[in-house]
Amino acid sequence: MEYTREIYWNIGQSLGVLLPMYLLAAAAVVFLCYQFAQRVKTYRQGQPLNRFDRWPTRLGHMIRGILLQTKVMRERLPGTAHALFFWGFLLLFIGTLLIFIQADFTDLFFDYRFLTGSFYLFFSLILDLAGLIAIVMLLGLLFRRALIRPAGLESKTEDWLIHALLLVVLITGFVIEGARMAVTEMGTSLALWSPVGLVFAKGLTGLEESTLRALHSYIWWLHLLLAIVFIALIPLTKLRHLFTTGVNYFLVDLGPKGLLPLIDLENEDAESFGAAQVQQLTWKDIYDADACTSCKRCQDRCPAWATDKPLSPMKLVQQIGAMAFHDQQANLPETLERDVLWACTTCLACQESCPASIEHVRKIVEVRRNLVLMEGEFPGHEVMTAMEHTEVNGNPLGLTFADRGNWAQDLPVIMAGDAPADILYFVGCYAAFDQRNQAVAKAFVTLCAAAGIRVAILGKQEKCCGEPMRKMGNEYLYQTLAQENIEQIKASGAAQIVTSCPHCYNTLNKDYRTFGLDLPVTHYTDYLAQLLEQGQLSLRAESFACTYHDSCYLGRHNGIYQSPRTLLHAAGARIIEMAKHEAESFCCGAGGGRILAEENLGTRISEKRVAMAADTRTPTLISSCPFCLSMFEDGIKGVGLEQQLQAQDLAELLLTRLTQATPQTADFVPK
Amino acid sequence: MNILVCIKQIPDMESRFKIDAAGTWYDQADLAWRMNEYDEFAVEQAVQLKEQLGDADLTVLSIGPDRTKEMIKKALAMGADRGVQVADDHSHLHDPHTIASLIATFARQHQFDLIFAGMQSQDRGSAQVGVLVAEMLGIPSLTTLVEFSYTDGTISAKRELEGGARALVSCTAPALVTCQLGLNTPRYPTLPNIMKAKKKELLTIPVGDLNPADPQQKTISMAFPEKRGSGLILEGDASELAERLMRILKEKTTVLV
Amino acid sequence: MKILLVAEYREGKLLGTSAELIEFTVRMDAQAVMFLVGNKQNLPQFDGRLYLADAAQAGEFNPAVHKQLLLEVIAREQPQLIAFPHSSYGWDLAPRVALALDATQFSEVVDVQEGHLIVPVCNAKLQRRMKAETEKTVVTLQAGAFTPTQSISATPEVIDLPVTGAGDIDFQGYEAAAAGGVDLSKAKVIVSAGRGIGKAENLEMVANLAKALKGEYAASRPVVDADWTDHSRQVGTTGQTVAPKLYIACGISGAIQHLAGMKKSDFVIAINTDKDAPIGEVADVLAVCDLKQLIPLLTEKINAQQA
Repeated sequence: MEYTREIYWNIGQSLGVLLPMYLLAAAAVVFLCYQFAQRVKTYRQGQPLNRFDRWPTRLGHMIRGILLQTKVMRERLPGTAHALFFWGFLLLFIGTLLIFIQADFTDLFFDYRFLTGSFYLFFSLILDLAGLIAIVMLLGLLFRRALIRPAGLESKTEDWLIHALLLVVLITGFVIEGARMAVTEMGTSLALWSPVGLVFAKGLTGLEESTLRALHSYIWWLHLLLAIVFIALIPLTKLRHLFTTGVNYFLVDLGPKGLLPLIDLENEDAESFGAAQVQQLTWKDIYDADACTSCKRCQDRCPAWATDKPLSPMKLVQQIGAMAFHDQQANLPETLERDVLWACTTCLACQESCPASIEHVRKIVEVRRNLVLMEGEFPGHEVMTAMEHTEVNGNPLGLTFADRGNWAQDLPVIMAGDAPADILYFVGCYAAFDQRNQAVAKAFVTLCAAAGIRVAILGKQEKCCGEPMRKMGNEYLYQTLAQENIEQIKASGAAQIVTSCPHCYNTLNKDYRTFGLDLPVTHYTDYLAQLLEQGQLSLRAESFACTYHDSCYLGRHNGIYQSPRTLLHAAGARIIEMAKHEAESFCCGAGGGRILAEENLGTRISEKRVAMAADTRTPTLISSCPFCLSMFEDGIKGVGLEQQLQAQDLAELLLTRLTQATPQTADFVPK
Repeated sequence: MNILVCIKQIPDMESRFKIDAAGTWYDQADLAWRMNEYDEFAVEQAVQLKEQLGDADLTVLSIGPDRTKEMIKKALAMGADRGVQVADDHSHLHDPHTIASLIATFARQHQFDLIFAGMQSQDRGSAQVGVLVAEMLGIPSLTTLVEFSYTDGTISAKRELEGGARALVSCTAPALVTCQLGLNTPRYPTLPNIMKAKKKELLTIPVGDLNPADPQQKTISMAFPEKRGSGLILEGDASELAERLMRILKEKTTVLV
Repeated sequence: MKILLVAEYREGKLLGTSAELIEFTVRMDAQAVMFLVGNKQNLPQFDGRLYLADAAQAGEFNPAVHKQLLLEVIAREQPQLIAFPHSSYGWDLAPRVALALDATQFSEVVDVQEGHLIVPVCNAKLQRRMKAETEKTVVTLQAGAFTPTQSISATPEVIDLPVTGAGDIDFQGYEAAAAGGVDLSKAKVIVSAGRGIGKAENLEMVANLAKALKGEYAASRPVVDADWTDHSRQVGTTGQTVAPKLYIACGISGAIQHLAGMKKSDFVIAINTDKDAPIGEVADVLAVCDLKQLIPLLTEKINAQQA
């Protein structure tokens, strides 16, 4: 006997069945398309943005993202449950499709059946297991939502309805199968290939065949109707993420990561800058709201949210969507609220964790731009003062620009242009002016000198790279600084730039490219790791325990996780990682221009991070960013951990492990 | 209404000052330049008044070398309508009387209803120019204002006195007012206004055209004040240190009266 | 040389600046006459002629009338120098008189060296030695620059000045200093507490020292953040920027943000256990000591001196 089953068993492949079934399905699909077309109109209110270039790459992202569920599974338990559910549901969908193709197409018109023989057995088994897995995962997720109730996971009626609908669709599927099997397959070996169906069938044995047939028929129609309802609900509920999230993998920002769009300041027709209304954001910013599944992973990782500030990246994205659909005239800063907008540290934890490839930070900066460039507003007067200081003296601290190179006196450092050098060290404001961070600059150049590297600096010609200003929304000041710095860098004749500040690094290496800076830019951790590997730098390993903080602009923004750890290991470190490290690292609180601002809301981000470091029970918190170091010095005092924990920059530590002698200034710099 | 704001470009006070070759003023090299803080309050108040009245024409005037234009542009970006640079590479050598004479000559040519000035400059700090201009023009002047309002030709204001008290004063236009810290919060220029400012009229008048008055005073020399106790580190037991600090307070400060 | 001193009077009271004006004449080795718009019940301790106009008639603040009265006195006395305190009264009136006299004016004179007047430049970072090229000279004197070495007890010879004419400014009265919220920018002395004070209770010690010096107490950011005192007392880039005559930093290591807010102070004393603390860079004196011992002792000595 050939293994197969009768399709439309008990229902019949009559016009009376096929017509309503296909009409309903067609109606549902038309409804779905219409609804999405309407939504596309709403997206199109936004400004243009090209996300259709390099489409093969994008297609690759999309296929991988959807089929492999890579981004979803980054959160282990719920992510895996979602992925398994998705794969199960996908197989059931494909299986159902195959049945339709055979019954109503190949068999009907060509007398060709492929759901037969061993393929059928396999098909049957796979679909049964897929259904089982989908049900189990759905129940698991339901359990999580209803009973575990993770903090921040908000459940609306819609969520419960969708859970119920999916569950009923899956279970009715098995009831239909069970009823059919109870009549047709009991006792056959074929039944064993539908194990879940068999369980349902066994549950139904004892019922009269007529009852089973009646039950089968009712449930079959119910199942069909629910499936139609499911399709129709997709554009109306968060089920839309079936399409929108997948498509968002195609629309992903291909980088450079975190780079903000440039405002054309030469455009004399521009009347407005930044976004005060939702139409002034890009279409993608509106679309993102539709791709959001409220999974709250961004919110879970947001340092502002974690310290009782009002910013939830998830809610912000959804609010923008709500405005685009329901309140187009609303004012963005008013609706989103200024405290929310200013709280962001641009740490990128939200974007990196988002399983739907949503870009939160750009939206925030775009509205900040409007506040700064159109209203002259800042989060506080201290930030405006810092901007003015930067305009006058080229640094937000307001210290005299002429002293910018003073830290390097008596060190083997060349003033750019005075003599040939191997690298141009772009020092940054904190290492140049802040006494605590000057120690880092000094350590770095001493390490370089020991390795035989001739270091040049721009001295008083260097200005703030403009990173905090740009992230605060002050694009005009940023662009002014960028152009002045690039001019000086080009004039210096440098061939390679090294920075000690990750914010300078990110800005020179990404943002300045737009203005034509084409020299290689390296962060000092990468640079020293390279010198170490090449044997130019030699370090003495001396055992000690520490924890390492990944700066957001080194880690998440630029993927530099290994070099600092390599250097630490070479120095003899036993690194006890904090729970949140590498891509999951928790911001120090100074990013996004927040270094310039008071932190008046909630608790201090730096103190929270310092407490995490203290939890490792190591005496030293190593970082490689001047902002982080400043924040940690404050944070350690703030929580009174001075006796337990010491904040240190990686360069300072390496200096204590240096085995080479450093040349004297006189030998080093040709007069 | 025709309004004039007198502004001055000064070095940032954080600068590391050096004395110039002549030994009578600070060296102009390696300094970061900005608008005198008191004058920022003056510009802001004038712009606020223009916003209040709607129909007002706001001229900013500054005396100085070419770099002065940068600062005038900031005032234009804050909302002034037109800039005037009295081109003078040696403006820093003029005494307050000469500076006032230049402004007064210009003001006489233009019939201003109201003149705003900073209460003093941060570098020279004479606190004279505003009052002198008013006296030269024969109009009333209100100085050291921390509150300002204007209705129907009458200026009502509060002068800041020592100890935080204030005097309530008023006069009628034409008049001159000088602005004290805290009068308002100077705005941060918006980008569209920065763009517009680039196209606003910026007139340059040679200083000779305004009949500068002859100097009335001379700087014999400039010097750094004697650094009191500079960087002195005191160590020892508490009672000995208290004794030594008392001596220092008496000798080096004026607080023990 | 003869100097005309212009004394100050406000809200029915003589202000204490006349003693400094007299000290200036001592330093200039000159004879003095004095001018006051005030009242007879409230005369300065001065041994000389005092031209007195009645404030009830002339108005406490009426620059045009005061100028006119002064010009009459100047015409009678023919002084070479006219000295005002560098105050809201003095810097307002002095230029009016100077212009009328064709005299040059030196503002905020801080010292007399070899007969030359010294004026500050750029927040007292620099100073200039001046020479007048006019027949008469007007000066305003920086408060506290000419502190008398001994107190004078004398009764002036009062010459009444009749008041005529009206001014061009309408003066409506005074508004008292606002209560609450501390305006540190006006304080002459600031004693500031940093995290080095250890605990909130020690702030009282710092406040007592400030009180003894007739100043205000202030704090660095960590102290404010810890809620040991309110934000209006915070000195630094995120708090107030101050420039008092004396700044005493107690247990402040000197974070850059703090230094930026107080480095314009005329004289800085730091009390810190760490000899290498960055506050040492801006301090004129760094006392390396436990502040909990030193501050009470110092406060006691100051109180004894002031009594």
